[in-house]
Amino acid sequence: MPGKDLMHPCVDCKDAESLFTVRKRQLCRDCFIHFVGSKVNRHMSKYPRPQNLEDPCPQLLLPLSFGVSSSSLLRQLDADIQRQLNKPRPRKSYDLHILVVDPLSAAYDQSYEAVQKAFPMHTYSRVPFHSVFDYVPEMQDLMWEYAGPQFADDPSRPDQDRLAAFRAAITTATSQADVDSVLLTRLVVGFAQKAGCEAVLWGDSDSRLAAKTLAEVAKGRGAALTWRASDGMSPWGLRFEYPLRDWSKVELQQYKQACPELADIVVPDNPPSDNVLTKNLSIDELMMRYVLTQGEKYPGVMANVSRTANKLQASSSDDTPSCGLCGNIIGNVKGNSGLTASSQSGERQDTQFCYGCMRSRPDSIS
Amino acid sequence: MAPSTCFHCHQARAIIIRPKNRHKLCRACFLQIFEAEVHETITGARLFYPGERVAIGASGGKDSTVLAAVLKTLNERYNYGLDLCLLSIDEGIRGYRDDSLETVKRNAVQYDMPLEIVGYGELYGWTMDQVVEQIGKKGNCTYCGVFRRQALDRGAARLAIKHVVTGHNADDVAETVMMNMLRGDVPRLSRGTNIVTDSDASEIKRSKPLKYAYEKEIVLYAHHRQLDYFSTECIYSPEAFRGSARTLIKDLEKIRPSSILDIVKSGEDMAALVPQERSQGGKSRQAAAAAEDESAGGCGSQNGRSSGGEMAAMEKQLAANDAAESRETEIGHPTKSFRPTGKQVKVQTMGYCEKCGYISSNRICKACSLLEGLNRNRPKTAIEVSVGIEDEESSTTLRRQMERTHLTNS
Repeated sequence: MPGKDLMHPCVDCKDAESLFTVRKRQLCRDCFIHFVGSKVNRHMSKYPRPQNLEDPCPQLLLPLSFGVSSSSLLRQLDADIQRQLNKPRPRKSYDLHILVVDPLSAAYDQSYEAVQKAFPMHTYSRVPFHSVFDYVPEMQDLMWEYAGPQFADDPSRPDQDRLAAFRAAITTATSQADVDSVLLTRLVVGFAQKAGCEAVLWGDSDSRLAAKTLAEVAKGRGAALTWRASDGMSPWGLRFEYPLRDWSKVELQQYKQACPELADIVVPDNPPSDNVLTKNLSIDELMMRYVLTQGEKYPGVMANVSRTANKLQASSSDDTPSCGLCGNIIGNVKGNSGLTASSQSGERQDTQFCYGCMRSRPDSIS
Repeated sequence: MAPSTCFHCHQARAIIIRPKNRHKLCRACFLQIFEAEVHETITGARLFYPGERVAIGASGGKDSTVLAAVLKTLNERYNYGLDLCLLSIDEGIRGYRDDSLETVKRNAVQYDMPLEIVGYGELYGWTMDQVVEQIGKKGNCTYCGVFRRQALDRGAARLAIKHVVTGHNADDVAETVMMNMLRGDVPRLSRGTNIVTDSDASEIKRSKPLKYAYEKEIVLYAHHRQLDYFSTECIYSPEAFRGSARTLIKDLEKIRPSSILDIVKSGEDMAALVPQERSQGGKSRQAAAAAEDESAGGCGSQNGRSSGGEMAAMEKQLAANDAAESRETEIGHPTKSFRPTGKQVKVQTMGYCEKCGYISSNRICKACSLLEGLNRNRPKTAIEVSVGIEDEESSTTLRRQMERTHLTNS
């Protein structure tokens, strides 16, 4: 067969120069994007294409942080929907609603404009972090209860200040990161419920999932892995899904390079904090560092961590009380007769918060 | 700054900061709280019954020495009515075990407990020194771990005792949890945190009364009670065994001291979340498998560590799996071949060793197959078996490769 004269032909199409080496395979740009896409699409194939045009398709919420991973997920799902619409009988199997949460410190104006221009067929919303008070009505009571009597909240002040004061009451880096992630989840869930979405598609890469899995375990939140790092039903009746669970952060960075339209959208990561002392890191940060450094040498082992978490099956009993703040169960999972939760963790038992949240509480010694 | 007073009694001067929660305590309160917590564990998990005869697996190291001291104290204080004795294994390691056995002998006198010593030499015809001479320093911990498990059972049987307690502490358990997460070993995850492993297959029940005790607090307890223990680590364990999980846990402890206990808590919860039908059939199977797990581990402070090349070996295998999968994609049915994402976990089946009758998931138990290799004076077996143990759930490809090695050799 007379082929093109290629130095390093792509191993898939054999018809173009390979530009990327992915999992020891040399691929051209198109085949690489297709490779990533095939695994994501496989995940999304659980949403069947509707029989009739007028059948409603499910609304799925995609929280977008403008990081490499969630931006790549949006790019890929957009392509998936385009592909469905290009078929002879064009119909979408799902609709995307993109949610951007502006953090307290920064605003993503440019990226927000760019993303709407690049992928115009979806619904976009943007809310500030402190709107958690609006989307989670019980937030104020939860905050008071959680922070304890020594925390003085002033409801007359703007929500932004109140949230900042609450976060400042939490002293350690670990607890702050932990509570932040809980609040963000609550905000996203609250928004998704109001917007009528039936699932949240998280953009976590496999590396992020591995780090999250190890961090949740280390923070006593192992029971929550069935939805915090695993595709499953969250405590709020919305499914949580992680379609990028097959791709590592490094691979998604390559994906970003392959997709020039992402260049204006992705906000570069904050440089790693110059904390040299392990002691001052948060557990989440430590685990992310661990996964990234170990992932260089043992990418497969790290990938295995999130796969392990995905094998856990949510407890079937509905009668266990769940944490008012994070939704995790209070006490032990059914069938666990361990003593850690009851006697050994000490302090207060009459609480509406779970083991993990109690550890991050402002006045707890840790 | 004025010296702080004890957080507990508010009287005496605090001289200890508890590693677990940074409470400042006086010596008396620390000892009392430590003992009270072990007592809580024992009563909470109903570990013993009155009149029970219990063997303490004693290595002479800090964990088992503290275990013996605390059990003796609690037995007297709360009238458990236990008949305690010490059971030691002599692996036959000169310069390490002979010295630590001297410690155990002194402990036997100090605590007024009978002592039984079981030697690898008499049981298997091989001391660890001889094993190392044959197979080298790498991978010998596998032999030691496998042999120890059976030796403890046989020692207990010799004493007609049905319950052996071991000095595993919270750090060990946390390490095992992290290790199993890294290895993706879901069946082990479902039982690694159990405080008791007993089974119908083995007569002997094992438990870990120090499961919730921090390693650092065990050291403090030993120090403040001036216990006589042996602190040298085994001379055959210079490699970075289990290094990854261990380093991680030490770092976590620096960030948040409670995290060791938090990992144990997560491990206990996750064990209950492992899909039931897959987490082994009945109790006997589960415990039998747990018995095998421990044997795959190493000794005292090294417990459960496996050889350093494990991560690399596993990485290789996972990469191979992945490569195979991507070749599959090449054939061109990626979208249609969607498998339902059911939660699937590999099942192990338990039986008995054809040679010695010990519980085993294979036809011949690990100890017997290791011995077979040693006796045939064929070092290659070492490679075969250590891979088998580290990657019990290894792919058939790997098995086939090993079988091929086997054939070429014989």
